[in-house]
Amino acid sequence: MDDNLVWQARHFVYSHIAETTRPPRVNETAAHFGISIEEATELYKELHNHHALFLDTDEMAIRMANPFSGIPTDFKVHANGKTYFANCAWDMLGIPAALHCDAVIDAVCTESNDKIQLEIKNGEINHSPVTNHQLLIHFPLPFAQWYDDLVFT
Amino acid sequence: MLLFRSEEWVDKWCKRNNLERGEMLSLQQVWELSKLWYGNRMSLEYHGRSMEQVADIFKQTGLNAKFWYA
Repeated sequence: MDDNLVWQARHFVYSHIAETTRPPRVNETAAHFGISIEEATELYKELHNHHALFLDTDEMAIRMANPFSGIPTDFKVHANGKTYFANCAWDMLGIPAALHCDAVIDAVCTESNDKIQLEIKNGEINHSPVTNHQLLIHFPLPFAQWYDDLVFT
Repeated sequence: MLLFRSEEWVDKWCKRNNLERGEMLSLQQVWELSKLWYGNRMSLEYHGRSMEQVADIFKQTGLNAKFWYA
C-alpha cells in the first residue's frame, strides 16, 4: 500500500471533520482520492492498525479520530461556529488544542450529572463556577493499557 | 477519561463501577497536555509519534509517575 496515500487519507479525514464536524464515510474518501471503495476501506484499516484512527469495523465507519468522536457524546465542543463531539474529557480540550481556536465546551460530571461549561479563550482555560469544587479529569488506566480497549479508555 | 466535580465524585464512580482509582489531573494540567499531544494533529506531516516522544510529552507536562510509562 502506498504509504504516502495512507497519510494523505489521514489528513483528509481530519480536514473533513474540521470542516463538517463528522468523519467522512468510506465512499466519500474513495471519491475524494478517485479510488474504489475497497481501496478506501484498506486505507481506513491501515490507519486503524497505526492507531491513527479507530474504526467501528462492523460498519467500517470512523468511531474516533482523536480528539474527535464519530458519534454523539456528553462532550460538546463549540468552536469556529460549529459543534464537535469529543471522545472523552481529555479530548474535549484536545479539540481546541488541535484546531488552535477558542471554544466553549459543554460537559457533565460523570457521577453527579451536573452540567459544566468550560471556555478556552486566547489559550487560557476558564470554567463556570460549579460551587467551589475542584474539577478533575480521571484517567482510569495507565498509559501502557490505553490501546487495549480504546472505548473504555 | 471522564470529568468529575471533585475527588469525592471520582471515588463514588470508582466504587460504583468496582474500579481502582487511576490518576486525577486538574483541567489546567490536561489543557497543557492537550496542547502538546494534539497541537500538530491537523498537520499532513503528523504520522503518529514514537514512545520516546510520548514520554517526552508526559515529562514536559510534569507527569512522571509510573502510571505514564509505556
